Amino acid sequence: MDTIFNILLNDSIFKAFLNDYYIQVLTMLGIYLIGSLGLNLITGVTGQLSFGHAAFLSIGAYASAITSLKLGMPFPIAILAGGVMASIWGILLGFPTLRLSGDYLGIATLGFGEIVRVVFLNLSITGGALGMAGIPRNSSLTLVIFVVFFTIWAMYRLENSRFGRALVAIREDEIAAEAMGVNITNSKIVAFALGTFFAGVSGGLYAHLLTYLNPSDFGFLKSFEFLTFVVLGGLGSIPGVILGTSILTLAPEFLRFIADYRMMVYGLLMVFMMIVRPRGLLGGVRLSRVFKKKLSQRDKASATGAN
Amino acid sequence: MSKILLELRDVTIRFGGLTAVDNVSIKIEQGKIRALIGPNGAGKSTIFNLITGIYPPTEGEITFQNIKVSGLKPHTITEMGIARTFQNIRLFGEMTVLENVKIGQHCRTRAGFLSAILRGPRVKKEEKAITEASMEALKLMELDHKADELAKNLPYGEQRRLEIARAMATNPKLILLDEPAAGMNPQEKMTLMNMIRKIQDKGLTIFLVEHDMKFVMSLSDRIAVLDYGRKISAGTPAEIQHDPAVIAAYLGKEVV
Amino acid sequence: MLGQQLLNGLTLGATYALIALGYTMVYGIIQLINFAHGEIYMVGAFVGVLMVTVFKQGLVVSLVAAMLTCMIIGVSIERIAYRPLRGSTRLSPLISAIGVSIFLQTLMTKVQGPQPVGFPHVIEDAIYKFGSLEITKVQILILVVASLLMAGLTFIVKYVKIGKAMRAASEDYDAASLMGINVNRVISFTFAIGSSLAAAGGVLVGIYFNSVSPLMGVSAGLKAFCAAVLGGIGSIPGAMLGGIFLGVAETLGIAGGFDLYKDAIAFTLLIVVLLFRPTGLLGRPIQRKV
Repeated sequence: MDTIFNILLNDSIFKAFLNDYYIQVLTMLGIYLIGSLGLNLITGVTGQLSFGHAAFLSIGAYASAITSLKLGMPFPIAILAGGVMASIWGILLGFPTLRLSGDYLGIATLGFGEIVRVVFLNLSITGGALGMAGIPRNSSLTLVIFVVFFTIWAMYRLENSRFGRALVAIREDEIAAEAMGVNITNSKIVAFALGTFFAGVSGGLYAHLLTYLNPSDFGFLKSFEFLTFVVLGGLGSIPGVILGTSILTLAPEFLRFIADYRMMVYGLLMVFMMIVRPRGLLGGVRLSRVFKKKLSQRDKASATGAN
Repeated sequence: MSKILLELRDVTIRFGGLTAVDNVSIKIEQGKIRALIGPNGAGKSTIFNLITGIYPPTEGEITFQNIKVSGLKPHTITEMGIARTFQNIRLFGEMTVLENVKIGQHCRTRAGFLSAILRGPRVKKEEKAITEASMEALKLMELDHKADELAKNLPYGEQRRLEIARAMATNPKLILLDEPAAGMNPQEKMTLMNMIRKIQDKGLTIFLVEHDMKFVMSLSDRIAVLDYGRKISAGTPAEIQHDPAVIAAYLGKEVV
Repeated sequence: MLGQQLLNGLTLGATYALIALGYTMVYGIIQLINFAHGEIYMVGAFVGVLMVTVFKQGLVVSLVAAMLTCMIIGVSIERIAYRPLRGSTRLSPLISAIGVSIFLQTLMTKVQGPQPVGFPHVIEDAIYKFGSLEITKVQILILVVASLLMAGLTFIVKYVKIGKAMRAASEDYDAASLMGINVNRVISFTFAIGSSLAAAGGVLVGIYFNSVSPLMGVSAGLKAFCAAVLGGIGSIPGAMLGGIFLGVAETLGIAGGFDLYKDAIAFTLLIVVLLFRPTGLLGRPIQRKV
């Protein structure tokens, strides 16, 4: 068991050909991917607008930091604790608010996000406005890649299951889904619980990468950032979300040459990309269909080849 | 007289000051095709929404197999064996035809999110059963060759049939069809009529709202007529055709 | 003491209401949460500062100039960033709005620097006393200007042709366009009015707190949006009521010892109201359509 962890927590393979800076950037990308795949389940697949995703990241981050720092628990347990705690709050928020429709749900989650930020700003256990420092630096690129693959795999399986179909049906037409026997309240809450769990895991890994947490890192701008990842990539499309998150996380790095103007360009880029592709870069592309299409193309290719 | 499957007892619903359905009682016998007709805005679709639990009645009660269903949630009512289609087609547009029908099987199966991720042998077996049952429903409505197309890409008439296939996949005892023939050409209507008869032959009870009189008269065993939320007549097609109250409702009040 | 708090709350609330009106009018017609609206308010405040310091203008000219500038900016944003996205999914204009918001914020940070600047002295620090009640000249200014603007808006919406068209479009967009209303013009007009009100709010707040910064639009925008939802989004009197309600609640909350949680008051109120009256205080109830 220990050796497995040693391998996962050691980035010596990557260090052979990447410098520390790139390893840090890629690790961060992986952490964001986990969070945005979680949001994709809520907003992309189930169609429930959330403006408060960063709040769940922060809950996960602080919960896992406290677990490892104050309770002295091992790293994997701290990460799980982050996920579970975020998920619990997801359920607590979801229970009353998921009855609200569309924009109102979004607004309620936005409000929740701001409340969480203010609470963390004033709690003594999290260090308030000073933040929380000295968290062990345990998140390695290897481990994060491992978790990212697990997340993609889990999301892919969810998407192609009885449960996942029900979520998509809710997104497409709530009333029809209900009339077909889908318990929409329960399904939405489970989707919310799962999505926020991954947000919490992402937050936990974030805390153990940066070793320092500050409530201002998780304002509503961060929530919007996640929403942008998901919408820009293509709502409900796993490859889309991966692409969107990668482009937007790496864009500021690529835009470094324009230094001070990079966030301005970033803003304009968002507007531009939406106008060019309103449904996102890979909107409507589903991982399972990508596979299927490839297979049928191969079939067609072999059929024409035989002729 | 055969067994009563569904009964509406003095059902009334008011929206603000408007009484959309006024003291309506209807009994539907098992295995029969029952139609509900009436001018636009008479409250026909509202009756369907009451039966399926989208609105709770203001007064009165609805029983299905002698169990009270009014006040229950829509998905529970579907689970008990009432399925429906919608007048203004409500398919899951971004899902394939097969996936749409698979949603119908939702309430007959169990696998949750954990088993979705773990995907053990039981889940695989269940998924296979879902696919088989769904394909069967598609075959019944002659849509099996379109299984992999997106629902939104189907032509109008096939979308209506897909709605019925999806409802059939819930394994219902009673199926409510809200204007199933709307927008179809005469040929499509004939095909649809045969399909509805096939559904009846499977032992299901059918309750339908339809404007096409020829369709209704040749298909239904009994008809109820609604006007301004009130039931003004009920009987066999022949009786309805000669009822002065019905003629008045359709042709104008001055006839009375 | 309570009277004083209510007065302070009313002043703060009036500025929230000015911003909230823009959110509510835009949402009423195109169901878009215009997240760039807070930035318009911020830009308005800066234009006010610029007019006073560089162009040496008085209060009234500066206020009007800020309103006109933001009118143009608001209408242009709609033309460039939102109109091409009309008819696509609900989320794409939202993301576009966030993009505009990031752009304006960083642009102003680049131009002005991230530090807040003080608002030059345009009005004397006189205090008037009515018994135990104290009111500053700035507060009077805010209350008077806000009341005039809101009265003007109410007049336009009730009696002027384009205002009536606005109400029609927010009642039923499709029907309005079928009745021959030029919906594009109405939308541009809505953005013009909403943006100019926000600019006025920006100038007034800048004078009130003697501070203008590129980030001031973030929290004010969010809170004003809360106010719009509290009052019932889409409803013009609702936004006014919601703004004042929020201002008073916040002031009383601070006086009651919740100053650390000041920024959470608005959002807590928001969630509570949403749970019990999802459409806000003056919003129309939603009938489920099948």
